[in-house]
Amino acid sequence: MANPMARSFLQVAASEEVASPLRVVQIEGLAILKIIKHCKEFSPALVTGQLLGLDVGSVLEVTNCFPFPIREEDEEIEADGANYQLEMMRCLREVNVDNNTVGWYQSTLLGSFQTVELIETFMNYQENIRRCVCIIYDPSRSNQGVLALKAMKLTDSFMDLYRNNNFTGEKLREKNLSWVDIFEEIPIKVSNSALISAFMTELEAETPVSQCDYDRLQLSTSPFMERNVEFLIECMDDLSMEQQKFQFYYRNLSRQQAQQQAWLQKRRAENMARKAAGEETLPEEDPSNPIFKPVPEPSRLDSFLITNQIANYCNQINGVVGQSFNRLYLMKALQEN
Amino acid sequence: MASRFWVQSDNDTEEEESDYEDDIDAGGAGETAGEAAGSRYLQGNASDSDDSDGQKRVVRSAKDKRFEEMMATVDQMKNAMKINDWVSLQESFDKINKQLEKVIRVTESEKVPTLYIKTLVMLEDFLAQALANKDAKKKMSSSNAKALNSMKQKLKKNNKQFEDLINKYRENPESEDEGEQEQTEDEDESGSEFEEDPSKISMMSDSGEEDEEEDEEGGDNQAEGTGVWEKKMSKKDKLMDKQFMKDPSEITWDTVDKKLKEIVAARGRKGTGRVEQVEQLTFLTRVAKTPAQKLEILFNVVSAQFDVNPSLSGHMPINVWKKCVQNMLVILDILEQYPNIVVDDSVEPEEKETQKGTDYKGTIRVWGNLVAFLERIDAEFFKSLQCIDPHTREYVERLRDEPTFLVLAQNVQDYLERIGDFKAAAKVALRRVELIYYKPQEVYNAMRKLVEHTESGGNGEAEGDEEPQAVEETRGPPSFVVTLELVPRRPTFPENSRTLMDLLVSLIYKYGDERTKARAMLCDIYHHAILDEFSTSRDLLLMSHLQDGVQHMDISTQILFNRAMAQLGLCAFRVGLIAEAHGCLSELYAGGRVKELLAQGVSQSRYHDKTPEQEKLERRRQMPYHMHINLELLEAVHLISAMLLEVPNMAANAHDAKRKVISKTFRRLLEVNERQTFTGPPENVRDHVMAATRALSKGDFQKSFGVIKSLDVWKLLRNRENVLEMLMSKIKEEALRTYLFTYSSSYDSLSLDQLTTMFDLSDRLVHSIVSKMMIMEELHASWDQPTRCIVFHNVEHTRLQSLAFQLTEKLSVLAESNERALEARTGGGLDGLPPRRREGQDYAGAAMGKWQENFSHGRQSSGRLGFGVGGRPSASTQSSGGVFTKDRAGQSRGTGGYSSGYQSTRYQDAYGGVGRSYQTGTTGRGLQVDASARMVSLNRAGRS
Repeated sequence: MANPMARSFLQVAASEEVASPLRVVQIEGLAILKIIKHCKEFSPALVTGQLLGLDVGSVLEVTNCFPFPIREEDEEIEADGANYQLEMMRCLREVNVDNNTVGWYQSTLLGSFQTVELIETFMNYQENIRRCVCIIYDPSRSNQGVLALKAMKLTDSFMDLYRNNNFTGEKLREKNLSWVDIFEEIPIKVSNSALISAFMTELEAETPVSQCDYDRLQLSTSPFMERNVEFLIECMDDLSMEQQKFQFYYRNLSRQQAQQQAWLQKRRAENMARKAAGEETLPEEDPSNPIFKPVPEPSRLDSFLITNQIANYCNQINGVVGQSFNRLYLMKALQEN
Repeated sequence: MASRFWVQSDNDTEEEESDYEDDIDAGGAGETAGEAAGSRYLQGNASDSDDSDGQKRVVRSAKDKRFEEMMATVDQMKNAMKINDWVSLQESFDKINKQLEKVIRVTESEKVPTLYIKTLVMLEDFLAQALANKDAKKKMSSSNAKALNSMKQKLKKNNKQFEDLINKYRENPESEDEGEQEQTEDEDESGSEFEEDPSKISMMSDSGEEDEEEDEEGGDNQAEGTGVWEKKMSKKDKLMDKQFMKDPSEITWDTVDKKLKEIVAARGRKGTGRVEQVEQLTFLTRVAKTPAQKLEILFNVVSAQFDVNPSLSGHMPINVWKKCVQNMLVILDILEQYPNIVVDDSVEPEEKETQKGTDYKGTIRVWGNLVAFLERIDAEFFKSLQCIDPHTREYVERLRDEPTFLVLAQNVQDYLERIGDFKAAAKVALRRVELIYYKPQEVYNAMRKLVEHTESGGNGEAEGDEEPQAVEETRGPPSFVVTLELVPRRPTFPENSRTLMDLLVSLIYKYGDERTKARAMLCDIYHHAILDEFSTSRDLLLMSHLQDGVQHMDISTQILFNRAMAQLGLCAFRVGLIAEAHGCLSELYAGGRVKELLAQGVSQSRYHDKTPEQEKLERRRQMPYHMHINLELLEAVHLISAMLLEVPNMAANAHDAKRKVISKTFRRLLEVNERQTFTGPPENVRDHVMAATRALSKGDFQKSFGVIKSLDVWKLLRNRENVLEMLMSKIKEEALRTYLFTYSSSYDSLSLDQLTTMFDLSDRLVHSIVSKMMIMEELHASWDQPTRCIVFHNVEHTRLQSLAFQLTEKLSVLAESNERALEARTGGGLDGLPPRRREGQDYAGAAMGKWQENFSHGRQSSGRLGFGVGGRPSASTQSSGGVFTKDRAGQSRGTGGYSSGYQSTRYQDAYGGVGRSYQTGTTGRGLQVDASARMVSLNRAGRS
C-alpha cells in the first residue's frame, strides 16, 4: 500500500499518459433526477445541461449537473450562455460542489440524436476535456416505463477522422470504420451514498407494483410506432438523397475518367508524332488541365449518421413491438380467463 | 488690325462674319481679307451640306462622293453667279479644280467629267456676259472687281487645257449623256437643299429625251445603270412599245428570246428593279412568238414576281400575289391547249426548244416546276395571313382570296394527274388539304357560298382582279399567242368538306411521300375530330403510330401534331369521354407552354431569353389567326376534365395526397389557389374551375356546375346544350363519388333514396356508380337489397398501416437505386435487370398485395390513365357494353380478375404494376416520356 503512495506526483502524471479506457459512467442518483426533471419539464422541447464530476481511472463519475437556459438562436444570447455557464461554475465552486466539467446531457425525441451538431459539440468538449460523455435522456420513451438514459461518446478512430474531416470511402476503408463505430455507448452505473440508500429503503412503498409498472402495461403503442415509422420514412428520404449524391458523383467521376483517357490517348499520339519528328515529347500529365482536377467526393458522414439513426429507430421498434406482443398475449390470456 | 479681328472671329457666328464683311467692303480692306472671308463662308456652307448628307446616312462609293462634292461646288458657283459674287466664285473655282484632281484619281480615267466641262462652259459664258456689261462692272465693289479680273485670267489659262473638250461640248452638249445621267440622279439624291437652276433642269430633260433615241437599238445600258432605273425603265418600256409597235412583223423569235435572256440576266443584280422586271417580262409575254416561248416567259414572270418581296419575314404584296395566281392559270391554259408542251425542271432544255411553233407535233420541253411555284404561292398566302393584323378588314379580304388559290391548286392537281405525275399531285393535294382541314362544316359552307356568290355576281372578285390586267393589255398590242381560258376559273367544291378531304387524303396516302402522308394523316385526324368523330380520328392516330415518330419530324409537323392532339381532346370532351380528353390535353399543358406548342403566340420564357433569330424563327412558324384553336376553350376543357378526374381521386387518397396524381398541372393550380388568403370571385378560366373544384370537393354539384356554366367559352361550342348537359351529369356522378369517398367512414349505412335526392340522379345511375365503386374496391361496402341501403364495412387501414405501406414503397425505391449504384460501380450493363432485383420486387409486390386492396387499384388505374392517352384502339368502341366497363377500359383487366381467381390475380397485378412502372412500360408512361421528349426536341430545334 505504501509503495504506490510513495510515487511522486510526477510519476503519477506520467502514468496518467497511458490512461485506461473509459469503462463505466457512474452517476449520482441526484444528478439523474435533476436531469430527468429538467428534460421532462421541457418536453417536447429539447434541452441541454452541463455534467460535473470527476474522472477517476476508467470510471467517470458524474456527481452533479445544472441545466442550461433554453437558448434562442441569437449570437448575443449565445455569448450570454457561455457567461451563464462560467458564472454557474463559479457559484458551485463557492459552495464546494464538484465543478469539473465532464460532459453534457441533452434530451431527445425518440432517439433522434445522431446529428452533426452533436458530433460538433462533442468535439468542442473533447478539446478541453479529455474524457467526456454525453448523457441522452428520452422523455417520450420513459413514458413507457423504461429509464431511457444513455451515455454516449465518440469512438477515438472516428474522432481522428473527423478532425481531418476526411470521410472519403478510401479513408474509411483504411480505418475500417463503419457506421456502427461512430458512437460508443458506455454503461451507466447509478451510485448513491449509503445514507440515501438507507432512506430509499425506508421510503419504499408497501405495494409490490409501482407507477412504473403500470406504465409498462399500457396497451396503446400505435402513437409511438407511428412516430417511429414516420421518422423512418424521413430517414429513407434522406438516405435516397444521399444516394443520389453518390450516383451523381460516380457519374461525374466516370465521365472525367473517360475524358482523361481520351486526353491521354491524344497526348500519346501526339508524342509519337513528335518523336517521329525528332521533337521533345510533352509530359503525360498536365495539372493545369481542368479534367485532371479531382472531383470532390461527397462526405459519407451524413449517410453514416442516417444509418445510425435508422438502426436506432429499428431497435426501438423492435423493443417496443416485442414488449407489446407480450402484453397482448397477456391480455388475451387474461380475457380468456 | 483687321487681321487680328479675323483671328478672333473664328469662333463667331456667320452673321457676325457677314457684318464684318460689309465693314470691310465699306472700308476697302485688302483683297486677301475678302477672299478669306469668302472662303470661310463657303467652307461653312460646304460643311453644312455635308452634315445634311450625314443625316441621311446613305452609303456611297468614293466615286459618288467625289462627284457629289463637285456638284456641291458647282451649285455654290451657280449661287455666286446669281448674286454676281466674283469673290466666292473665284474661291469655288479653285476648289473645283482641286476636286477635279481627286475625281480623276478616283475614277482612274483620263477623261474629265462632263460636269466639270459643263461648269467651265458655264463660267466662260458668265464671264463673257459680265465683261460685256460695263455698267455692272463699274458698280462692283473693288474686291469683287479684282476677283473678276483674276478670274478672267485664271479661266483663260485653265480652259486652254480643256479646249477641245469644251468645244465639243459646245457643239453637242448632249453627247455626254452618261455623266449627265449620273448627275441628275445625284441631284435627286442630294435633295432640294440647293436651289436648282431651272435652265439646267430643262437642259437635262432635253438630253434625257434625246437619250431615248440614242438608246434605241442597244438598250443594254441596263448593265451600267447603277440605280437610275426608275426613270430609265419606264422609258425603256415606252421604248419597247415603240420598238415592237413600229413593226410587229419584224419581231422575231430571236428578238424576244434575246430580250428575255437579257432581262433574266439582270435579275438579282444590283439596281435591277424587281417590279420593273416583272413589267418588262409581262410585256414580253404579249409579244412571244410561240406558245412554248410564252410559257417560258410566263415562268420567268412568276419567278420574278416571287422576287418582288426579298425578305423572308415579309410577305409578297397582295396584288402581285393575285397577278401571280393569274399567271399560273394562264400557264395552265397553255399547257391545256398544247398538250405536247412538257414542263420539266430536271434537264436544261435545248436552246431553240421554244422556237418550235404551234404546228410542231413532238414534245416541247420547257423548264419550270409547277409544284414548287404552287407551294411558293401557298407559302406567300400563309405568310401574308401571318403578317396582316387579324382584326382588320384587310385580313378578311385576304381570306377571300383563298378560293382563288384553291382553284389554282385544283387545276394544277388535275393537270398533274392528267400527265400522270401523281407524286407531285399528292403534294398539291396536301396543300389543298391544309387549307381545308381546319374548317368546320359551317366555315366550309361559308366558303362555298362565297364562291357561288361571286359566280352569280358575274363580275366577281376574280374578274375584278383581272380587270386591271385587261386594261394593261389593251395598252399594248394584242398578244401574238392568244391563250384561251381553258381551265376553270372557279373552284368547285363538293357538298361536304369530308368528301373533299377523303378524296384528297386518299390520293395522298396512295402516292405521297412520308412527310406528305404524315401531314395528311394529321390533317385528317384533325378534321375528323372537328366533326366529332372521336373514335375514327383516334383510331387513325393510333394506327398510324404517329406519336412514336413525331419528335423526329420537322417542327411544323410537330405543331400540326400538337394541334391535332388538342382538337382530339376537345372532340373527346364534346362526346363526353373525359378521361380521354384529359389524356390528350395533359401533355400540352404539362410544360405550361401551350401557346408555343400550338404556335399561337410567342410565350415569354422567364428563365432564358431567346435570341432574335430564334424569335424570328418562331414568329415564322405562327399559325394565322383564323386557324387558331381557342386557347381559353382548350384550357377550360383541360382543367374541367382534370377536375372531374382529380377531385374524386384526391378524396379517395386523402391519406397521402402525393402518391397518385392524375394531373400535376391541376394539383399545382389547386395548391396555389388554396394558398390564397382571400379568394375573390372568379375572373378567368382557372379561377372558375378552381371555384368549381372547391364546390365539387364538398359534393356541391349545383354550385360547381353553375360556376362552370358561367364561363364564356361555351358559346364557342357548336352543340353547347348537349355538352353542358353531359357536363352536368358528369359533375353529378363525380360529386357522388367524391361524397362517398370523403364521408363513407362517417356512415354505417346510407340509403339509395337519400343519395338519389342528394345528387339528383336516377336510381339506376346511383346504383351503377356505387356498384362500380364496390367492384373497383374503392368503397368498402355492400348492398342491402331489401332496404335499398349501402352498408359500409369500415376496413380503412389505420394510420400505422398506411405509414407502413409508405415505408415499403420508400424502401423498394431505395433498394432499386442501390442496385443501380452497384451496377454503375461494378460496371455491369444497365440494360437487363439483375435477377435479384426482380425477386426483391416480387417480395415488395407480395408484401403490398397482402394488405393492400386499394393499392392494386392504384396500379390498375394508372393503366387506365394510360389508356386515356394511348390505350387500345378497340377498347372504348365497346363502351356500349354495360355500365361496368363503360369508359374504363383499363378495368377490363381488373374485372376479369374479379370474376375468376380474384385474390390471386391481385398480387400479380400489383406486382405487374410495380414492374411496369419501373421499366416505364405502361402505355401511359411511355407516352408521357414521348411527350416530354417531343417537347424537348421542339425546344431544342427552337434553340438551335
